[in-house]
Amino acid sequence: MPPANKSPATAGGSPTPPVKEQQSFSLELPVVKTAGSIRTPASTAPRVTPATRLWLCIHLPALPLEALHRGEDVARAVFDDQDGIPKVLLASDAARSAGIRPGFSVNAALALLPELELEQRDSQCERRTLLSLAGWAEQFTSFVSVAAPAVLLLELAGSVRLFAGLQKLRDTVSEGLGGQGFSASLAIAPTPLAATWLAKAGRRICIQDTANLTSTLSALPLTCLDWPLTVTESLYGMGLSRLGDCLRLPRQGFAKRFGAGRLLELDRAVGRLPDPRVSYRTPERFITDYELEDELSDSKLILNACELLLQKLEQFLLVRQLAVQRIRFSFFHLQYPATSLSLGCVQADRAVKHWFELLRIRFECLQLPAPTIAIRLRAGQGQPAAAKTDVLQFTKKDKGRSDLSIVHLIERLGARLGDELVHGVSTVAEHRPQYAWRPELILDRLPSYEAMPALENTRRPLWMLAEPQPLAVREGKPVYQGVLTLEDGPERLETGWWDDAGIARDYFVAANPKGARFWVYRNRGKETGWYLHGIFG
Amino acid sequence: MNDALHQLLQNPRIWRGTGQAELSDWQGLASGYPRLDRHLPGGGWPKQALTEILLEHYGSGELKLLMPALARLSQVDDSSDKGVDSAAGWIAWIAPPFEPYPPALLQWGVNLSRVLIVRPKNSSESLWAAEQALASGNCAAVLLWSEKLDDSASRRLQLAAEKGQSWAIAFRSLNALSEASAAALRIKVTAGINGTDLGIVKSRGGRPAVVHDYAAALDQYPI
Repeated sequence: MPPANKSPATAGGSPTPPVKEQQSFSLELPVVKTAGSIRTPASTAPRVTPATRLWLCIHLPALPLEALHRGEDVARAVFDDQDGIPKVLLASDAARSAGIRPGFSVNAALALLPELELEQRDSQCERRTLLSLAGWAEQFTSFVSVAAPAVLLLELAGSVRLFAGLQKLRDTVSEGLGGQGFSASLAIAPTPLAATWLAKAGRRICIQDTANLTSTLSALPLTCLDWPLTVTESLYGMGLSRLGDCLRLPRQGFAKRFGAGRLLELDRAVGRLPDPRVSYRTPERFITDYELEDELSDSKLILNACELLLQKLEQFLLVRQLAVQRIRFSFFHLQYPATSLSLGCVQADRAVKHWFELLRIRFECLQLPAPTIAIRLRAGQGQPAAAKTDVLQFTKKDKGRSDLSIVHLIERLGARLGDELVHGVSTVAEHRPQYAWRPELILDRLPSYEAMPALENTRRPLWMLAEPQPLAVREGKPVYQGVLTLEDGPERLETGWWDDAGIARDYFVAANPKGARFWVYRNRGKETGWYLHGIFG
Repeated sequence: MNDALHQLLQNPRIWRGTGQAELSDWQGLASGYPRLDRHLPGGGWPKQALTEILLEHYGSGELKLLMPALARLSQVDDSSDKGVDSAAGWIAWIAPPFEPYPPALLQWGVNLSRVLIVRPKNSSESLWAAEQALASGNCAAVLLWSEKLDDSASRRLQLAAEKGQSWAIAFRSLNALSEASAAALRIKVTAGINGTDLGIVKSRGGRPAVVHDYAAALDQYPI
């Protein structure tokens, strides 16, 4: 839209002809009268801008519930900690029909409906859902703005023509949202704040002209403004319950009492002041292809081509200061569907040599069904990369033994052997010897936990057999590579009756004639047999 | 003794019969058993090399032999002149025959958050995993159980240990006594009623010896 004219006196409102100065380079811009421009009376009220934009506001009142689960007819509720007590925040339709309301404490809700499924509110999940919806909404307009925890704003003035009418556009958006399982309230207004307030009030209304804006806004209750409780209480105390009452108040008095910020909000909503918003852009993804002139089956040449692609990826990430956790190679063949190879990394990385190392290890185990004609590299979501400070390395001794390189080692080992075959250990507070420890996947978290204190007064063998081995018995003594003599014991362990794996055993330390020591046990109860459970290494 | 002779004797390539070489590169990792340390060059395990333990059957006390040194490696950094980033080293167990029992490891003082257990499917994968772990520089010690460890494989492990400055330990059966190996130290473990005997079969920089009942007079260790 052309900017306002520079010459001051248009008080009469008569249209000024466009000024065209061809001879000299003038900075005077041509003046064109726009339909609907208001003259400037000699009053102190600022100029009202014409409705050049249309904002569609999508308000998702049930986002905490819908972000977690959508489209199910199950009695479910989301709870949140309010003043230290977990209270129900939102309930699904099935739960509401059973009588659960927001504000119930969790215990009360469970007492009312024992099969209610409760989940804690997850703000991260809500944010992610909102951002993915913003990405979906980008098909309707180029300007999507994410506001507040559950509000999306779409600027529609440019898309009306393409979608053949505002009504149709709104219906398409509404159907799309309903199809994905979201319950949203939509409202269209010339200013973003007005649209937000109308949507929060639940009005399915479409205002295209600023002239109607003030009158429609006046009828809104104060609750849709999201102002703090103290402010709304004092307004109620003054006898004001609608937005129109606030708009009619004297400006300076209002600003002095409730702050200039609230007055500016009202001005922005009515359209007196501009309300710029930040547009949201879905983050870029990396995808690149490499076409080979001939079909190749030589793995070395294919790996060279992959390395070139990885270098491009590194450049892309370096420029944007990002790092990725997942990349995928697709190898295309002429007569076969493409083979794909996914690589993942625990900590987002962009170094070529690290990805190439993983690729090389996985590529050895990969069987390509046919010669490759093209290779595609696609990278997952980029994350901002944290810069690592490094130390100047002068001597060989300063080789960094950082936690990051153990992750690299574990990933390399896992890539070739299988991720579940590489693990760490931790102890569990449990008397049953077999369950007193468990494998830990190191990549999930780098363990630096406080281990349980060691057992006192008892000896445990360094080797444990996965399954106890039954032993033959000769003359009442167990036999394993020779007759065993019981040295120490018995240590009676009777525990685990609450599981199905209860044990009632007497453990002994036994030595065989060759001097090796074993940890054997005998079951108490029905089946008395000797078993070997551990070896004192 | 004049300076030239003193200088000459400092050369590590000269093997001095009973005197220990005093260069820091030869400092061994103290094993925690004084009877054994007396016979090892450098007063302990060879730090950046391959040690082979030959045993007849499990349970002879082969792990007990290594435990004090492993516990110390996993708790503290061994080279004390590092100012930066001194993290404890990892202990990698590659293809152990049974399950290493964490409560027992804890009793010996091993830091469980630095234990890594790898279970490859065959021996070539075990060798590859051991080489990777040694060369990465993160693992302070790598324990490998592999039947097939021929001369070239042991040489590769030795090189990887030197590259990553890690301690490699390979467990083999007693039948492999007659095979050639590139290990820096080969110890034969035989358990007897009167305690376990260690036979130092090959020792780089030291002499073969037999240590009777190496764990005697050490009642502060469990078992």
